[in-house]
Amino acid sequence: MSTVKDNSYDAGIMSLNGKDFADEYFKEENQVCKESNTVVLVLKKSDEMDFIVDEMLVKIFQKKNPSLVIQDRGGYWWLKADNSIEIDCEYASDILGKPYSIYDLLVDVTSTVGRAYTFGNTFTITSELMGLDVKLQDVAA
Amino acid sequence: MAISLATNAATDALALNRAPTSVGAQEVHKWMQDFNWDFKNNRTKYPTKYLMANDTKEQFKLIAKEYARMESVKDERQFGSLQDALTRMNAGNRVAPKWGETMKVVSNFLEVGEYNAIAASAMLWDSASAPEQKNGYLGQCMDEIRHTHQCGYVNYYFAKYFHDPAGHTDARRVRTLGPLWKGMKRVFADGFISGDAVECSINLQLVGEACFTNPLIVAVTEWASANGDEVTPTVFLSIETDELRHMANGYQTVVSIAHDPAAAKYLNTDLNNAFWTQQKYFTPVLGMLFEYGSKFKVEPWVKTWNRWVYEDWGGIWIGRLGKYGVQSPASLKDAKKDAYWAHHDLFLLAYAVWPTGFFRLALPSKEDADWFEANYPGWYDHYGKIYEEWRARGCEDPSSGFIPLQWFVENNHEIYIDRVSQVPFCPSLTKGASSLRIHEYNGKKHAFSDEWGERMWLSEPERYECQNVFEQYAGRELSEVIAELWGVRSDGVTLIGQPHVTKEGKLWTLDDIKRANCVFKDPLA
Repeated sequence: MSTVKDNSYDAGIMSLNGKDFADEYFKEENQVCKESNTVVLVLKKSDEMDFIVDEMLVKIFQKKNPSLVIQDRGGYWWLKADNSIEIDCEYASDILGKPYSIYDLLVDVTSTVGRAYTFGNTFTITSELMGLDVKLQDVAA
Repeated sequence: MAISLATNAATDALALNRAPTSVGAQEVHKWMQDFNWDFKNNRTKYPTKYLMANDTKEQFKLIAKEYARMESVKDERQFGSLQDALTRMNAGNRVAPKWGETMKVVSNFLEVGEYNAIAASAMLWDSASAPEQKNGYLGQCMDEIRHTHQCGYVNYYFAKYFHDPAGHTDARRVRTLGPLWKGMKRVFADGFISGDAVECSINLQLVGEACFTNPLIVAVTEWASANGDEVTPTVFLSIETDELRHMANGYQTVVSIAHDPAAAKYLNTDLNNAFWTQQKYFTPVLGMLFEYGSKFKVEPWVKTWNRWVYEDWGGIWIGRLGKYGVQSPASLKDAKKDAYWAHHDLFLLAYAVWPTGFFRLALPSKEDADWFEANYPGWYDHYGKIYEEWRARGCEDPSSGFIPLQWFVENNHEIYIDRVSQVPFCPSLTKGASSLRIHEYNGKKHAFSDEWGERMWLSEPERYECQNVFEQYAGRELSEVIAELWGVRSDGVTLIGQPHVTKEGKLWTLDDIKRANCVFKDPLA
């Protein structure tokens, strides 16, 4: 599993500058895409999302997945983790003290790198190939 | 007003058979999929060489009711912020002058992309046969209408509040004047809506949206904030909240064709062509706008590109699909070279033809030059010295009569326009992945800057017949062309484009340009 250091916004080559960066960037081995099992999530800052980041992702989800990195990028929160990130909107609703559905969450989910999907009131972004390796499920009617 | 028979009938039917109100949205979504199409007779106006599967799923399970509610909340928040807090804070006028000019291009050109994406996603709706896949494309079609309005609103907002509104006010009529326009049409229009439907999806969703909207619409908000612009993050982060569904649509396009033998045969070529098409324009243009169009820098563009394009898109999207035969784009190495140098090459040319812009440009300051040299070693010797020479010759001052385009002529640095991407390049000065190659076809010469575009042209030359600006204006004097294409402010004589952003600096007029006597010449004639 990656460490927080591996997944941070300025990890790896991104921590280098000037010629050091260029040398690494132009290395022959870095001229093809390399498979990654990480996922990236961008959350627009809002009253609800700031609360979800503090109370759910930092306090709870980070314990389940210690590779999760959350960084403040001005207008948005930038998150990166190995494998997957999940947000349970039932729990979000409890801590926010108001009805808060998966579609309320999607108002402020700005971008994803990985396969993001909803199932019931849970939002997931995963490195799994949904629809290819893993079937996308419907809720029971 | 009389109530129609149809309305009466619908009202009566609903009274007898009330729609359920206590069922969850995703249960309704599942139920809706039973309203299916007859696949055997499914015909599309927009065919594809791939077979799209009939059971492809939609990752976000949207129904119209929740979609409409979600989008209305987004708009309420965005317009609420703009019209209340941001207006009271005079946010539109607190923007660093250079960045305000940059937003003239960003918001207006993105509007064109969004507008064409309406057609592209509608086309994909028609091409697909799986009901969930159609639902995803349909949602996107409506999103793109919203985005077109949002981008137009950014120009409108800045036109009201930015200290120099010229360009924001009339971008739609003057944007065709300069050489950046046609390249933008290639990526944002032709790439999205011409040719095979799945190829369009790869261009729009898998590359344009999954790869380049992250720097274009997400990272741009950091640059905006750093330069005092809180208007752009308010709008663009709201736009991007829809883009994740579009990225999922692109991925599901690939899922839908993954088991078709045609995918093994064509997908990697289509992916490479789409990647090169999109990167050829976005890589230099975004890098130029961010780094040369800002006072306060966030990080070198090449790092932004490396993070969002190479590591994340390349690793998390393309890398993970490797076991299904999807390969790293063959053009990646050249794209990486472009990400380091091509925006510097482009700014040199963009500044040289500044009178054709609907925005103002500024030469790099001493502070900028130090930053460029620290982050792109070798920048000063190649580019910095040229800017110093131009500044010494008075290129910012109308009384000098010096337009940097003249310097290219004096020094035999010929400028060409790549036929496929429509991106200008100067073979004798480029440090990006460009080198000149010329072909003749049907009695007409065509210049190319790279083997990837050249390959696309060789396989479909009739697709890339767009006349470039040098052919279009050949033999005409620059001030005539500017006047004809509305490149002037409301006084009818002062140019919208200017070679500086200082409030104290003198503004160039049509007469100043006329004195320079620049005549367009087609280098291939």
